[in-house]
Amino acid sequence: MAEHDTVFDAMGSHVRLLIGEPGPGMDPAPAAAEQAREFVAEFDATLSRFKPESELSALNSDPRERVPASELMRTAVKAGLEAAQRSGGLVDPTLVGEIESVGYVTSRAGMPGAPLGAALAEAPPRHPAGPHPAAAWRRFEVDDEAGTISRPTGVRFDTGGTGKGLAADLIAAPLRGYSRFIVDCGGDIRIGGSDALVNPYEVFVEHPLTAERAFVIKLGSGAVATSGLNVRIWRDESGRYSHHLLDPATGEPAWTGLIGATALGDTAVEAETFAKAALLSGPEAGRQVLAERGGLLIHDSGRIETVGPLAAKPLIRVPDLAASE
Amino acid sequence: MATMTERARPARRPSASLVVWTSIVLFAVLFAVLTYQLSAAQPPPPRPVVLRKVVKRRVITTVVPSPGRNSVSSSGAVTAEAGAPAYAPVTTGAS
Repeated sequence: MAEHDTVFDAMGSHVRLLIGEPGPGMDPAPAAAEQAREFVAEFDATLSRFKPESELSALNSDPRERVPASELMRTAVKAGLEAAQRSGGLVDPTLVGEIESVGYVTSRAGMPGAPLGAALAEAPPRHPAGPHPAAAWRRFEVDDEAGTISRPTGVRFDTGGTGKGLAADLIAAPLRGYSRFIVDCGGDIRIGGSDALVNPYEVFVEHPLTAERAFVIKLGSGAVATSGLNVRIWRDESGRYSHHLLDPATGEPAWTGLIGATALGDTAVEAETFAKAALLSGPEAGRQVLAERGGLLIHDSGRIETVGPLAAKPLIRVPDLAASE
Repeated sequence: MATMTERARPARRPSASLVVWTSIVLFAVLFAVLTYQLSAAQPPPPRPVVLRKVVKRRVITTVVPSPGRNSVSSSGAVTAEAGAPAYAPVTTGAS
């Protein structure tokens, strides 16, 4: 049965909605898609660190330690804190100063990225990332009853690490009664609907080096997300390559031996957290991060490694791009 | 020594009407007590019913054919195939 297919740009990326038949009393799919589009606009306006008028920018510049915050703002901060907690501090939402120091001050949406292959050739020795010793994210507190967020003045928050996943989850919530749906927020994908359990969606995984579809996952529910170095990568004035995935321990771009990671999860925030944590952990610890839910590790060589439930299928053969080079 | 032999006194049997009325009164009292207890007793709390929704997530993976044989053209457009979904492929990648 045909699904309503909507694509639009938001949050510095694309958002795509595939919505099936509505349940009894529910809005038709086009109306649901329009409501989702309006929500994403509000989400972006509230939580973008690149917009000076956003609530996030206001929070980050507020001199008070306890700041009144909207429900959406509190939800986003809680999602960021949960990601930090679950990743042992690797997905750290408080590295705003560090990411600006390496050159990521304004949105890079639509800007051409530097070639990943050349960046890998000049990158420093690989090592796993580690948590920031100060772990400033632990000092954030969200009080839903009082409607406030508390943190030491001057510690800034960035929802970028979990923002698209959270948007996908929040958009998906009112779509549960539809026969099937996909919410794709820049590659952070949430899937649902009873029909999707019977006829799963095919989700292709893009290879960070070749941009080809290198793998396909059939998924009937839950979420999948990918983190990679092939976007938001640039060369600074000194000629050094930088990208947006920082090692919290050093505040510098992480070069761990992995250029991409795809993770499955129950929610898009969870999948996004696992994907980022796996990439930052490097190949050894990355396998452990993905072991329970499953996922893919893409090595610097281009080799794709299946992990966990994805690796359990005995008939899988992963194309070894490194071998074909 | 003279011995005396006591003659057993005949037991007095209650009258039939007394037995009948006593039985009726006892039955009525007992019935009233039990009826009161039943009406005053609280109904037993409903047993909690645990509903468990079991959702099985099936993950099936397959390998995409090599670039020379897959459905992606050189321009990146997707060629529709018989049996393929009616929508363009969904892709997860870094963004």
